[in-house]
Amino acid sequence: MSPDIRDEAVEMWFGPQHVSAHGWAAKLTVVGDFIVECDPHAGYFHRSAEKVLEFRTFKQGPLVLERMCMLEAFLAEYPYISAVEQIAGVEVPERAKVLRTIMMEASRIHSLQFWWGQFSAELGLFAMTLWPWVDREFFLDTFEELTGSRHAVSFSTPGGVRYDFNEKVLKKLDRALQRLEQHLPKFKDMLLRSPTFRMRTKGIALFSYEDALRWGLSGPNIKACGVPMDLRKDWPDLNLAYDLVDWEVPVVDNPDHPGQSDAYDRMVQRFLEVETSINIIRQLLPQIPEGPIVDPKARAKTNRLPAGEAYGRVEGTRGVTTVWLKTTEKAQTPYRAKIRGPCFASYYSLKHLVPGSTFADFIVVFGSLDPYPGWWDR
Amino acid sequence: MAPPTTPSEVAAELMRRHPGVEAHKIEGQTAELTVPAGMIRDVVKSVDELLPHALPESMFGVDLQDDRYQLIYYFWSHDIRVLVQLRVELEGEEPEIDSVCDIFPGLEWHERETHEMFGIGFRGHPDLRPLLLPDELVGKYPLRKSFQPDRRRLAESGLPQPRPRRQEANKE
Amino acid sequence: MNALLLQLFDNIDIIGWLRGIPDWIHGIIVWVYTLAVGVFNWAWGVFVWAWNLALDNWLLLFKAIVFPGLVFVLMLIIFDVWFTRKVWGRVQARRGPFHIGKYGGLQIFADAIKLISKEIIIPRGAKRWMYRLLPSFLLLVVLTPFAFVPWTSEWVITDLSVSLVLVFAFLTAVPVISLLTGWISGSKYTLVGGFRAASNQFAAEIPLIVSSVGPALLAGSLSVLQISQAQTHLWYVVLLPVCFVTFLVSAVISIGLVPFDAPVADSEVIFGWRTELSGVYFTLTYFAEFAKQVLYSALIVALFFGGEYGVPGFPPFLNFFLKFLVVLFGMIIVTSSFYRIRQDQIVKYSWRYLLPLSMLNIIVALLVLAYVPGLAGILAGGG
Repeated sequence: MSPDIRDEAVEMWFGPQHVSAHGWAAKLTVVGDFIVECDPHAGYFHRSAEKVLEFRTFKQGPLVLERMCMLEAFLAEYPYISAVEQIAGVEVPERAKVLRTIMMEASRIHSLQFWWGQFSAELGLFAMTLWPWVDREFFLDTFEELTGSRHAVSFSTPGGVRYDFNEKVLKKLDRALQRLEQHLPKFKDMLLRSPTFRMRTKGIALFSYEDALRWGLSGPNIKACGVPMDLRKDWPDLNLAYDLVDWEVPVVDNPDHPGQSDAYDRMVQRFLEVETSINIIRQLLPQIPEGPIVDPKARAKTNRLPAGEAYGRVEGTRGVTTVWLKTTEKAQTPYRAKIRGPCFASYYSLKHLVPGSTFADFIVVFGSLDPYPGWWDR
Repeated sequence: MAPPTTPSEVAAELMRRHPGVEAHKIEGQTAELTVPAGMIRDVVKSVDELLPHALPESMFGVDLQDDRYQLIYYFWSHDIRVLVQLRVELEGEEPEIDSVCDIFPGLEWHERETHEMFGIGFRGHPDLRPLLLPDELVGKYPLRKSFQPDRRRLAESGLPQPRPRRQEANKE
Repeated sequence: MNALLLQLFDNIDIIGWLRGIPDWIHGIIVWVYTLAVGVFNWAWGVFVWAWNLALDNWLLLFKAIVFPGLVFVLMLIIFDVWFTRKVWGRVQARRGPFHIGKYGGLQIFADAIKLISKEIIIPRGAKRWMYRLLPSFLLLVVLTPFAFVPWTSEWVITDLSVSLVLVFAFLTAVPVISLLTGWISGSKYTLVGGFRAASNQFAAEIPLIVSSVGPALLAGSLSVLQISQAQTHLWYVVLLPVCFVTFLVSAVISIGLVPFDAPVADSEVIFGWRTELSGVYFTLTYFAEFAKQVLYSALIVALFFGGEYGVPGFPPFLNFFLKFLVVLFGMIIVTSSFYRIRQDQIVKYSWRYLLPLSMLNIIVALLVLAYVPGLAGILAGGG
């Protein structure tokens, strides 16, 4: 920033009381209509989860984790459980693996539906906010039928899952999927083919694959550049059932700017993600094996873990979600737990992506990365 | 020489380039290496060269008590499916290490968080303001094991006091 | 010394002076009484004069205050608020207001009472008297042009030979007030919103006026009433379809409805220039926006859809009102189905597309009139 520009610069706080800033704030330095500097501030949501985890047993831990991101609760609690299971060296029953995978994908769909709605509201079309949210209700109904809770599900547990599918759950899940499949073309029309949506998102926040990786972005933000970077394929997990399914990592084909992605590509990517998740659930539903949902011996083994370290990773809705766990001998609680939320990087990278865009586009840049404050504040 | 494609090859190449780096566990897709504190910048630069399209996945501290700390860096490469863990041992009341945030800008906030939570200094870091914690907590390091999250010790933190509980008020 | 004092008392007739007091008091009372009677007579005379004037012009008074005037327009605005919310609700897969009154009809009154009774918080940096005055000015400026809306040829409050120009003259003041409100509110966000509102008007005004030149040219008049009266045989929307579209779009820009609502974009600048307004002042600006929507819908019917002419045999007012409802509904549907576009895009598109299109349509319509025989005959005003 040259000195003469700094004289004209105005500082504007975007948040924390702004309508669109729900639990975050960014200090923008604006010259005219253009943002020259962005300083995102974190900490408005901080609940010191990592310290709290040191005082919770291995079965209470997932409950803390799922509160990091209520929208993808099934996914958010999994890396912790994965780390615990790695240290204990247990394998969960076949049925639990399939149920976990199904519910994680359902959670991903639900989270993305929420995001379509939120992004549309930020762009001013409230109809597209509420239509996916009506469909989202059906997934919430399924979660409620399965676990008794709409958001704080605490479904998985070290050694298996806590709730079993019954006829009612299957029926509700099927209904939710059917409804979504039926409405997907409509949503695509509303978003991807809308001329005003294209005007607002094409060419906004364009970044390349190499650049984004250095800033720590992952998940759909990277996949939208045309790179199939997905932990579901790259990091085979013993206790999940992705190997039962025939599927491909969805990537956007964008011939205009190969290796790069703009806000529009990321929206397309998130539609592909939902289609893939529907595909995975549809293939897994007939393959649910009979058997127990939890292995009592494995579960008992996680009361007290041996000394060890483990790194649980899962491909969350928003990117690579990991928990690093260190235990001491015979301890009931972790010695240290580190949560890596995918949005920590995407929120921080606003510093890099925002300068140069207009003030009106700031919320488009922010929204296109699908950040959730719980993940960076923890 | 062909670029390394497996965890063991990556570890071998890193150890060849930087004597002093030790591999202590190579398992599956993961290579875990111990790095002397002074060499961290060189090693991270080598990781940047060796791992194609490396993602700086995570970086955090661990308090081992008695003024011993560990820093753990994770790098993931989708191209060759290798996860590299670098481990640095630190000692001292408020130890210091070189910042690597100019090599991987994605680690800047991770280092900032580690600084406020553990009191580990990062030489060359542009911005070490508290990230998640309120400004009143500067100088207290909550993720150290010596920091007890105890209601009785709240006065030390300098944070505004919550109202006393009802029963306590009645007792008085 | 004593002698001198006695001499003085001898010279002043104290008793006589005391005897005069009642007369003096009487004089004052008479004077006050006369003054009061005079004032009363004067006031009474004014009242009688006004009463006779009102009786002589009772129709105009009734028009101005009750039927196409203030009360009717306010009811129409309230209906518009309800209608907008209900249509938006249906479009957005919800139900809209339905608790208070039949089909939520009284919800708007409840909201108005709530808003008016709210505490008024004036920011420290704001200019207090401007803050209190400007919203009222805004509503005043927006309500005045309703005097020229020809609901039927009889039920129009007044008509001037230049009423079309006057309507736009009044509406031009709106962005000025928006910008001032943003300026004096003492907040950066309101200032951004105010400048955006001004920029919106800058984008929309010229296409708006150029599109309205078409009907005026065809009717040979600048009076809204006469333009609507000139469409007995042929609605101008047939000859000027593109002008109608450009007028509609620039009207939507000028009102600041959803595709062009950057001045009050809630996800970017919170409520734009209205952010710091509270309580009754917010209500006034909120009503002004809907008043503009009603006004432009009525103007579109008068300029392009033949005013009171429509289904033969229908009462003229019903003809006008049905068309008005259709236009209003169209406007609401349009605003509920687009994403917000950026301010620079609004300006760019309105100057690049709206202005040439509206001009082109007028030129083509005039050429058609010149070269198609018999067409000019059915235009009552003469092309």
